Amino acid sequence: MSETAGTSTPDPDATVVVESVTKQYAAGTTVTALDDVSLSLPRGSYTAIMGPSGSGKSTLLNLVGGLDTPSAGRVTVDGHEVSAESEAERAAIRGTEIGFVFQTFNLMPRLTAVENVALPLVFDGWSRAERRQRARELLDDVGLGDRLDHVPSELSGGQRQRVAIARALAPDPALILADEPTGNVDTETGATILDIFDDLHAAGNTILVVTHERHVAECAERIVHVEDGHIRKVEELGEETDG
Amino acid sequence: MDSRESLRIAVRSIRAHKLRSALTVIGVVIGIASVITFATFGASVQAEIVGDIGDSSAGNIYVFGTPEDEEGFERAFQPVFTESDVDRLGEIEGVEAVLPRGIVQVGSVRQGNETLARQQVTATTPASITPNSVVSGRTFTPGENEIVVNERMAESFSQNLTAGSTLTMVLPDGEEREVTVTGVVNGTRGELPVGQFARQPRIYAPVDPFYESVVESPSAGVRQRAYPQVTVVADPRGIPDTKAAIEAFLAESDARQLSASDTELVARSGSDFVDSISDVIEQITRFVTGIGVISLVVGAIGIANVMLVSVTERTREIGIMKAVGARNRDVMGVFLIEAGLLGTLGSVLGVPLGLLVGFGATRYADVGFALAVDWMVLAVVVGIVVGVVAGLYPAWRAARVDPIDALRHE
Repeated sequence: MSETAGTSTPDPDATVVVESVTKQYAAGTTVTALDDVSLSLPRGSYTAIMGPSGSGKSTLLNLVGGLDTPSAGRVTVDGHEVSAESEAERAAIRGTEIGFVFQTFNLMPRLTAVENVALPLVFDGWSRAERRQRARELLDDVGLGDRLDHVPSELSGGQRQRVAIARALAPDPALILADEPTGNVDTETGATILDIFDDLHAAGNTILVVTHERHVAECAERIVHVEDGHIRKVEELGEETDG
Repeated sequence: MDSRESLRIAVRSIRAHKLRSALTVIGVVIGIASVITFATFGASVQAEIVGDIGDSSAGNIYVFGTPEDEEGFERAFQPVFTESDVDRLGEIEGVEAVLPRGIVQVGSVRQGNETLARQQVTATTPASITPNSVVSGRTFTPGENEIVVNERMAESFSQNLTAGSTLTMVLPDGEEREVTVTGVVNGTRGELPVGQFARQPRIYAPVDPFYESVVESPSAGVRQRAYPQVTVVADPRGIPDTKAAIEAFLAESDARQLSASDTELVARSGSDFVDSISDVIEQITRFVTGIGVISLVVGAIGIANVMLVSVTERTREIGIMKAVGARNRDVMGVFLIEAGLLGTLGSVLGVPLGLLVGFGATRYADVGFALAVDWMVLAVVVGIVVGVVAGLYPAWRAARVDPIDALRHE
């Protein structure tokens, strides 16, 4: 079984390159959440990360998403070395290169659907008219053209998650990061959401989904199994490889 | 970040907690309102007095005696300025007229069977009654039993006094005297500014034959009328020089010799009165501003407190904003604008409240209403500054929130 997976020499054209990344937390004793992990996500790929809680999969997601910085190693997203940037630069990369979709939707409670979708564009300096235009189009695409001015509390779980997906797409990001995207919706709605991800993949987006549900992970092209801070196995779907 | 978007988020957040926001801004409202109230009232009183002194009496110099120890005010109005003093004051360069003023206590004033008890009559010369202060009729003639009255006095009887009305006066020695009203005036030339301010009913009569206070003049050696106060009308352009000349004369006047040694004889111009009244108003304003500042500090603490609560409540929102590209300074901006908005709200509510109370105070004190515009502008600016300063620490706390923890926050 190999400690590293994907390519051992990083693909310069890959959307995400994780090189020998270690993440340690000082919580009384030093806890190693990720231990010398390398991973690369080619442009246009659809990857799922699976693992039990505490395996390090959330840490990996946070590092790739630029929310956190590694203790050692490098993380590169669409050519930006996220791990070396300042807080303000990482914020800008999160806003323009990465679209987050969360298990709990994480919409701004007092903003309408349009305003939520337009929020990343606010920080990227778009004009109000341009932002709203883009947000309307994206909400139309996810089937919420008639819910533009509703606040999240007036929407169902599935509708909220579709707003969140539209928001993730707003800046036309290089990477879509989804953390248990179907974790808070019923099975039927979950299927609709997974269909949207399939469509996004078909349209050429690079997608990384973190999940503990096998059927969600199976929508991806490959499954990266994480355990105890290491990548245990990379499963190419259709053609399973071991190590 | 687009500051209008920060503003929009701030407005939504304040609207979502209306009661909490309203209670928070009360401190700022009270602070701003108290300062505006007294600034408005002060400006109104000042405008009233400056207006009174400014128009008709720019050239007036008031000469009177005042005790140095400030006590025993009644001694200030001893009749010490003799006719000789009046004549010699008139010879000083720049002096246009000298208006002696004496008070005659009258037992009662009667019209028909209507009686007003205990009236004061101001004895003076016709020069005190300027043509443009005469509302109707004419001034009195010296040596005649004629009087003029001000408008308040004219309305004191059920049948209004007009030129030609006759009254019966009971003089201090018990003598009853028939007098004729020759005119109605709206003030006289030599009145002290504070006297005009009070707007009481007044009767004016010629010195002869009404005023009886006599002393022996040390300089002339004969008994002469003597007055407690004299108003010198001077050329307005030369007031300081004329005032100095009057003060120099006072040291060798009859009044000096007739006054107790602890009595100071002073000459005060209209602007001296304005200055001293402005000083009093300024001191009151400073005191109230102090109270206002304390209230604003309390208000600022209230805003800071509520903003800290808000940051904790909205930790998740901060995480969301950071996840979708907000930099620390964007997050800081959102909370600073919200705090500044609370401060602005406080001053925007406080200014009209202060104006309302200030307006009530001017009505109560019977002075014209004047706006203190500079104070209003200052109040709004101070309100915004108070909010922003109070929001600095909470906003800094918000900016430092770790997005990973925040997104996990329930």
